Amino acid sequence: MIALEPGTELEPRERVVVREDVKAYADASGDQNPLHQDDAFARSVGFPGVIAHGMFTMGHLASAVGEWLPGAELRSMKAQFRSAVLLGDTIVAGGRVREVDPDAGTVSLDLWVTVDRDGTLEHPIKRAEVLASIARGDGGATDAGS
Amino acid sequence: MNEALAGKVYPAVRFPVSPDRVAAFARAVGDTGGSVPPTFATAPEIEAMRAVIEDPELQLDFSRVIHADQSYAWSRPIALGEVLTATPSIESIRSKAGSELLVVATEILDEAGSPVVSARCTLVVRPRGAGA
Repeated sequence: MIALEPGTELEPRERVVVREDVKAYADASGDQNPLHQDDAFARSVGFPGVIAHGMFTMGHLASAVGEWLPGAELRSMKAQFRSAVLLGDTIVAGGRVREVDPDAGTVSLDLWVTVDRDGTLEHPIKRAEVLASIARGDGGATDAGS
Repeated sequence: MNEALAGKVYPAVRFPVSPDRVAAFARAVGDTGGSVPPTFATAPEIEAMRAVIEDPELQLDFSRVIHADQSYAWSRPIALGEVLTATPSIESIRSKAGSELLVVATEILDEAGSPVVSARCTLVVRPRGAGA
């Protein structure tokens, strides 16, 4: 369990995005937009090839929260998608603790997802916010605010 | 898009939280926590939003749509095996810098009618000829 204090940096969580992942996400989520499966279509609308769903990237970020705060329950999550994730990209979920409220049993996080593309840092998710309950649920998170 | 449709509420869609679907979703997003991944809410949301996207009155050119923003507010975690209902409505339609923005709010309830998760999805319809 990480120390939960405002400013605590969360250990980055990487994932390489491959075509099979994006197809698996399309099937599991039900989002069959050809932008995420058909290179010719993606090029026709101005992308270099298929891109990952924004929600694939947000799902990766939510999974990272589950690893940073085992047993926590998400109360809210919002994200802005600001650049496309291409096949072969390594998406990196990161963030820091913004606030801990031991009385309410909640922690708020400022999060982001970056991609280093040939030395240029892109931000598929420039800014995401999460509010999570750490006082309920299973796992060892109940004393995390102390 | 037809801005007169702001406020339109679409029919509720029934969505069973099947263990197979949840397992596939958890694998896809790399969630190893063992419970229903919170963003599994996307699955009933997408199912419900189909009626909005395909609404002929809306005149949405989906080939030009990109997902700009997403938010969820959970009342409780989604439970394996429960049956959800998802009701989407058009919260707003507006123009910004040559693009059109469509905001769809989807209320997801359990079988007792209690709220489980509220979703808000902002889609941007890019101008014709725009690149990435």
